[in-house]
Amino acid sequence: MAEFRLPANSRIRTGVTHKAPQGAREVRTVRIYRFDPDSGENPRVDTFELDAAECGQMVLDVLIRIKASRDASLTFRRSCREGICGSCAMNINGINRLACITSLHDLEREIHIYPLPHMPVVKDLVPDLTTFYAQYASVKPWLVTQTPAPPDGERLQSKAEQEKIDRPAACILCACCSTACPSYWWNSERYLGPAALLAAYRWIIDSRDEATGERLDALEDPFKLYRCHTIMNCTDVCPKDLNPAKAIAEIKKMLVQRQS
Amino acid sequence: MAERPLSPHLSVYRMHRYTLLTSMLNRITGLALAAGLILLVYWLMAAAAGPGAYAQAESVLALWIFKAVFLVLLAVFSYHLCAGVRHLVWDTGRGLERAQSRVSAYVVLGASAVLFVGLACWWLVSRVLA
Repeated sequence: MAEFRLPANSRIRTGVTHKAPQGAREVRTVRIYRFDPDSGENPRVDTFELDAAECGQMVLDVLIRIKASRDASLTFRRSCREGICGSCAMNINGINRLACITSLHDLEREIHIYPLPHMPVVKDLVPDLTTFYAQYASVKPWLVTQTPAPPDGERLQSKAEQEKIDRPAACILCACCSTACPSYWWNSERYLGPAALLAAYRWIIDSRDEATGERLDALEDPFKLYRCHTIMNCTDVCPKDLNPAKAIAEIKKMLVQRQS
Repeated sequence: MAERPLSPHLSVYRMHRYTLLTSMLNRITGLALAAGLILLVYWLMAAAAGPGAYAQAESVLALWIFKAVFLVLLAVFSYHLCAGVRHLVWDTGRGLERAQSRVSAYVVLGASAVLFVGLACWWLVSRVLA
């Protein structure tokens, strides 16, 4: 059920302010959600006044700069720094995005950084994605076949068949979409969420897959699929320009069409 | 180790984004229409109960407070109808690209405003001024 208020242990306190360094040329204020699991205290929001002239132009550069020069305990995930690994997904100025490909020039003067919404927080900007990954695994994101593979090579696809799965298969599992979805916030244990459903769609329409019926059976459920109310936040935020909302709509259509 | 806190959601997400705004309005207007049904049922029950009861209901519903409620319900109905059509189109698998849904959000807001003004004018001319 929808629980609009944060639980008592999650309400945010005012944190510390780190003043701008002497002689800063371009001061930007960055407010960052902090949670230290060892302290036993509630989360807080720290304020960092930063000289933007001293760091790179992406939000990830700001985080790395703060960690290197202001507060080494600041914790966040990052890896590729070019929008292909999906590690640095977080809520930046109210929208879920990848810190590494979000430019400071596209943001308001004051920057607010929170972990992905409505997720258990491990530390600072690191959410616990265990449920999210389990949901992805539950759609069996692999090729299921009954017929033996051709003895002399791979199972082939036409160019048109490949193009159908081209976009859905480009998902990097950053979780921006699922954690932007209010339906997922209120029903994350039972609704699979846009990312897992996009993956399900990718295998349903794969011309080589032979378990289409079983895959559709598994999704025909009031919660797993039909908690989607086409709010469109998923497609709105996807950093890879994919379209989970369309994938979900297509699955719903397939479920109706196979009844006739 | 303390239990993991839940990261903030409603309090940090950009709620005036076109996606959330249209969705929340659709929910709120749906609830308001359901509440408005009480008035319709009252009016129909009075009509079924006989001329005396009907005349009484007519005089109650003619109070300015109910006229104001009716005007609000017209606006609510206009939005809910247009947003419902948008959802119907979506259910056919069309109009789901990001740019399309952004445009249709504004189309729905504009169309419902036009519909409301039209309905309100018709109502004013036919009932209030007559």
